Amino acid sequence: MAKAVRTFVGIDLGSTTTKAVVLDENGDVLGRGITNSRSNYDLAAEVARTEAFVSARFSLLRAGVERAAGTAALARLLRAFRLEQRLVQWARLRQWIEATAPRAAPAALQPALAATLETLFGRLVAEEEEHFLEPEAPERSDFFRDAAGSAYARLAQEIADPRGVTHDLLVGLYDHSIISVENEPLDLGFPNHIRAALARCGDAPGMAEAAEAAANADLEVAGSVGTGYGRARLPFPKEQIRSEILCHGLGAHAMFPATRTVLDIGGQDTKAIQVDGDGLVTSFQMNDRCAAGCGRYLGYIADEMNMGLHELGPLALQSRTPVRINSTCTVFAGAELRERLSLGERREDILAGLHRAVILRAMSLIARSGGIENEFTFTGGVARNPAAVLALRNLVDENYGERRLNISADSIYTGALGAALFAWRAAA
Amino acid sequence: MTVTAGIDAGSSAVKAVVLEKDGETFSVRSHVVARIRKRDVGRVVRETFDAACESAGVADLHYVATTGEGEETPFATGHFFGMTTHARGALYLEPRARAVLDLGALHARAMAVDPSGRVLNSKMTSQCASGSGQFLENIARYLGVSLSEVGGLSLSAGRGENVSSICAVLAETDVINMVSRGVPTAEILRGIHESMAGRLARLLQTLAVSGLVFVTGGLAADDGLVGALERTLASGAAPGAAPVPVRHPLSAFAGAIGAAIWGEYRYRKLGQEGYSWTSSATA
Repeated sequence: MAKAVRTFVGIDLGSTTTKAVVLDENGDVLGRGITNSRSNYDLAAEVARTEAFVSARFSLLRAGVERAAGTAALARLLRAFRLEQRLVQWARLRQWIEATAPRAAPAALQPALAATLETLFGRLVAEEEEHFLEPEAPERSDFFRDAAGSAYARLAQEIADPRGVTHDLLVGLYDHSIISVENEPLDLGFPNHIRAALARCGDAPGMAEAAEAAANADLEVAGSVGTGYGRARLPFPKEQIRSEILCHGLGAHAMFPATRTVLDIGGQDTKAIQVDGDGLVTSFQMNDRCAAGCGRYLGYIADEMNMGLHELGPLALQSRTPVRINSTCTVFAGAELRERLSLGERREDILAGLHRAVILRAMSLIARSGGIENEFTFTGGVARNPAAVLALRNLVDENYGERRLNISADSIYTGALGAALFAWRAAA
Repeated sequence: MTVTAGIDAGSSAVKAVVLEKDGETFSVRSHVVARIRKRDVGRVVRETFDAACESAGVADLHYVATTGEGEETPFATGHFFGMTTHARGALYLEPRARAVLDLGALHARAMAVDPSGRVLNSKMTSQCASGSGQFLENIARYLGVSLSEVGGLSLSAGRGENVSSICAVLAETDVINMVSRGVPTAEILRGIHESMAGRLARLLQTLAVSGLVFVTGGLAADDGLVGALERTLASGAAPGAAPVPVRHPLSAFAGAIGAAIWGEYRYRKLGQEGYSWTSSATA
């Protein structure tokens, strides 16, 4: 057995997603994991941590597999591994549904229901296998609940019988069972599934050895720190809990060391943070009592327009004459949106105005926290919205002059990274 | 005999009435309400108006008055400011009222009125939908309760969960947290009502009103909210001195009724003759 590798874990338990980051002894990122938050906070943290260690072990085997079989083989191995995890989840979901079925439908319908479930799960598993074989498969949600929910609902619609096993019955069984699947510990870790994944990939010479070494690597957790909205309920001692503000400041500093100002626009709160040259927070301002200026504002607008949240930004970018939104409150902005649409104003122009309104609220938090003197980092879900980024760039230019604006593709892990760094620093 | 219509276009519903004046007495011939629900407001206004005319059995009107957001209605004779129509409608439904509290979907508005229906002073809630009708509707949806059940559930609770003022949109998380802590739905609703009532009582206190406060708007039908408001107003005043909220089955139509009454007044003052609107002319 190889010598133990000391690792440090940070967990960010957010209101919508839970993130985990694993660092190695040098404080470098070894793995990242994410899952949807759920009512069982301990389990959400455990799932994110497991995912982060899966990602860490894939980091360990990367060089070996790439050397033995090439980059494509590594991607294929990862897809095979995901498939094995999904098959465990589907099998468990099926068990829960079959256990619920006798109470959900009359006895006369049971044979037809059993046959329908057999067909349904047969096709769902077949779809998973096809997805694995298709390297160019379209992106889908990483979260079992979301990806499984849409696949299940689609197939249920197709094979339901309005006079027998109805769509309502099938979807009702799913809704009832998915909560059980989500709130029980499933073994989705690396050592249990990597061998099956290897078998699916064929045995390129050297690959098995690399995988075996990664599976056997002794990753010892030398320290953990928790943060986020639900941090008070994490099963950690108090000295291993840090505020979101501290973790976001340190995480942003680690990603972009010259950062002095951090703006985080999450689903339910917005923070403007000033940090020093070591990533320590010197001042901050936060809004968590009002949806205006948070990601939820744009979510509400997307609902009002019957659009997907990710469609808003690209449409707003098409605007040439943005309107000026007068309402602050999210609900009032929704009413203003409807009024403007009924007056015939263009959707893209109204949306551009709404994006500017969200960023304007953030600008006032930034100003109150001390402004932007130097390099500036934007994190949180809204940082993925191109129209919000554009509005921020313009407003920062207008108010502070030209400043370097950093946005990382991994910005969702900023808080978890900061937490992991606190754990690492404590041990150093 | 004069026949007029009043249309009150709010932000969540359109209310229409047909009024008849015989001698000095007005009577309500019909009243119709329709939710807008993301539809085109102009179309909902037209449908609601047509339904009110049909239900009243009238084809010709001396005046068609709009109020609220109905200013652009092409077939209307004239438009009246929301404050004056609510005051006038409230006094028609309750002549002893000395204040009017209009509880709409987005705003709450308090007015002190004199016996002739003139607005002496008024105050409106600020730029936040917390505590509004839309707010309560969101809460009911998060709790999986229909709006008509809200009042009864709230009244059935022995106590109210303490709710600080919360954002109408982020309330979803607050409500989920309360549910996950095991707080019964009825106690959450009673707590929400008490928090809304506190806000409304402060609004009324800034106008220093006393006597009967007539409640108008869609929320007037919420027994839980009006009950909480009555308790809150009584707790802050000497016995007998507290303002008392009162309402009428037609409370939600106060704006439309007021508009129709003002329409009759303008029709008379302008000395117009004949009908402003006939169904045969526009059919």
